[in-house]
Amino acid sequence: MLDYLSLIFVVAVKVFKKTTPNGKVTVYLGKRDFIDHIDYCDPIDGVVVVDTDYLKGRKVYSQLVTTYRYGREEDEVMGVKFSKEMVVGTEQVVPMVNAKMELTPVQEKLLKKLGPNAFPFTFNFPEMSPSSVTLQANDDDQGKPMGVEYCVRTYVAESEEQKSHKRSSVTLAIKKLQHAPASRGRRLPSSLVSKGFTFSNGKISLEVTLDKEIYYHGEKICANIIVSNNSRKSVRNIRCMVVQHVEITMINSQFSRHVASLESREGCPVTPGASLSKSFYLVPLARSNKDVRGVALDGHLKEDDVNLASSTLVTEGKCPADAIGIVVSYSVRVKLNCGTLGGELVTDVPFKLLHPAEGSVEKQRFNAMKKMQSIERHRYENSLYTNEEEDNIVFEDFARLRMNEPE
Amino acid sequence: MFDTVNATADGGAIAYAFKMVSNEVQQNMLGFNIPPEHQDLVHEHWRNFAAVDKFWHYMLALIYTMLMVSSLCGNGIVIWIFSTSKSLRSASNMFIVNLALFDLVMMLEMPHLIMNSFFQKMLGYQLGCDIYATLGSVSGIGAAITNAVIAFDRYKTISCPIDGRINKVQAIILIVFTWFWTLPFTILPLTRVWGKFVPEGFLTTCSFDSFTDDSDTRVFVACIFVWSYVIPMVLICFFYSKLFSAVRLHEKMLREQAKKMNVKSLASNKDDAGKSVEIRIAKVAFTIFFLFVCAWTPYAVVTMIGTFGDRNLLTPHVTMIPAVFAKSVSCIDPWVYAINHPRYRAELEKRLPWMGIREPNAETQSTNASTATQSASADA
Repeated sequence: MLDYLSLIFVVAVKVFKKTTPNGKVTVYLGKRDFIDHIDYCDPIDGVVVVDTDYLKGRKVYSQLVTTYRYGREEDEVMGVKFSKEMVVGTEQVVPMVNAKMELTPVQEKLLKKLGPNAFPFTFNFPEMSPSSVTLQANDDDQGKPMGVEYCVRTYVAESEEQKSHKRSSVTLAIKKLQHAPASRGRRLPSSLVSKGFTFSNGKISLEVTLDKEIYYHGEKICANIIVSNNSRKSVRNIRCMVVQHVEITMINSQFSRHVASLESREGCPVTPGASLSKSFYLVPLARSNKDVRGVALDGHLKEDDVNLASSTLVTEGKCPADAIGIVVSYSVRVKLNCGTLGGELVTDVPFKLLHPAEGSVEKQRFNAMKKMQSIERHRYENSLYTNEEEDNIVFEDFARLRMNEPE
Repeated sequence: MFDTVNATADGGAIAYAFKMVSNEVQQNMLGFNIPPEHQDLVHEHWRNFAAVDKFWHYMLALIYTMLMVSSLCGNGIVIWIFSTSKSLRSASNMFIVNLALFDLVMMLEMPHLIMNSFFQKMLGYQLGCDIYATLGSVSGIGAAITNAVIAFDRYKTISCPIDGRINKVQAIILIVFTWFWTLPFTILPLTRVWGKFVPEGFLTTCSFDSFTDDSDTRVFVACIFVWSYVIPMVLICFFYSKLFSAVRLHEKMLREQAKKMNVKSLASNKDDAGKSVEIRIAKVAFTIFFLFVCAWTPYAVVTMIGTFGDRNLLTPHVTMIPAVFAKSVSCIDPWVYAINHPRYRAELEKRLPWMGIREPNAETQSTNASTATQSASADA
């Protein structure tokens, strides 16, 4: 719907908005996805429009809140809550505290359009803050999905500490994502292992090399495998899979899921003295893992706009163990089956799976592809929203409009 | 010694006895109304006491009627709601249903006891006694071990919330295990291979023989003490303390993460700030442990005294107390486990509105629901 529109009004700036249940406060955000470029992170820039008569001396506050959910809601027994909410930033929006605050282009545009009752606010993600990740639920899971979420909560209160009322507060869900660096690097990840056997001489060696270090979502991964068998055993078959490693640092637990796999007997058995060179192609996709519980996805707000979680990147000089929230990494795992007595020879080659960097050629191609897909999807759907395209600003509602309230 | 015991035991009833009952009852000793061919049911120990006054029998019948009704309601509702509502059909809840089943089995022996009280003797003699004691043994041992299994399940769920949960197959295996756990000490005395079931106290209830003076019985009592009391209790303590330390670890790690992001407050939701999860868990765990102790310690003490201690302490009246405790706890159990369950309460509110249950979390739940719909519509 959104992409469809932005194709029609190519120059339009799209803006998200949401109003409190009582209709007195409306929050506008320039976007919902905020990119962590490792060295800096997009600020969250928004504008609050408020009915000043309604305030009667009260103030409007905005908070940036992150929610960790590390267990299912229905498993919460004995008063344990598997979710933690952290307010990572609070700002008084109305009345404005810092009148000389620097505005982003979107804020300037919105302030100009929305008039004197509009007030800007800006948040920065804390330096260490984790990326949005959602762990896929399966059909018998009810309640909110597990993962790391962010939202901007705006409420009316006398003071910062005072409890907010539901009717005068509004929450907009946002995402913090990481994109690949501009260049993909030249290093080809590889691994070389060999295996000896207890009761026979000689070894089987396995070399796995990937054709890139960083892959973009939807890209084909090519794993080149060289098996040389200098033992007296033979290799029955080869299994190659993409493993997603998920580490939930907040409870110190980790698990992995196979997000793509391939098994081959072609060229097998690799008999003693023989060797085999082969390429495996795998595409890890969220679509092909729809029913697998626990697969990590890039925190998603739209039902169909979903991809596997991007690899977690850390600032240079920082130890990956310092990363918090949910840490995602990927590897290609190759398993050689050396028969019942021989056991298995396994190796892992790590790689990164990310979105292309903003502005890069790949990104444009990627976006074009996505747009085409969503046009297909929405061609037959009725649009339910209102838009105000004058001034080249497209407003998209976060929540559906209440019918009795005039815009 | 016996005289003094008799005097205290009957003292309360004397005034009543004067009005109503002939002197005959006073003179009769316990077990007088059992026909000669069944006299071997009664252990010598009980013959030292005067027959228990009708008044006591009726009072016991009254207590048991109340317990029966409340057990039937509480456990019946638990089984009904947990097995018919989709949102409650999870592996963990199967254990709660299992516990309610055991408690219902315990309830099954109550009508028998109430009738016995009116006739003032064990109806059915040996057969009745065996049925009564079998029901009591299965339900008692089963409920105890189910408590331990619930502790294990909670420990698994809370310490590794992502993939540590017990799935339905494992849950069924564990439930079958609880039923098997009850078997040895039910079948052995029932078939008289080891130990036997005998009437006790007012001679209207039956339980394991702990009075026969041979090493066989003593070893039997020691074994059943370990099997149905010590092992479940140790397991309960072990799992709840592991659970507690897991929660503490999680809290600590979350605090560290919050510190990295310069966050001061760390709460599950806004209203929760300041309440420690550890204290909440400790409270619940302690309640469950305390209930277990309440239910089975009196029984254990009486049996141990009967076997290894000074039997003269065990008057018929004293001997009836533990059973009442164990049965009361079986009525309270469903409330402790199920009423603490937010979804169960919500379901109860929906189906039995006349009970007047006000789900205190309704407010927060509706907030959650509305945020969910908001984000859902945001996606639209």
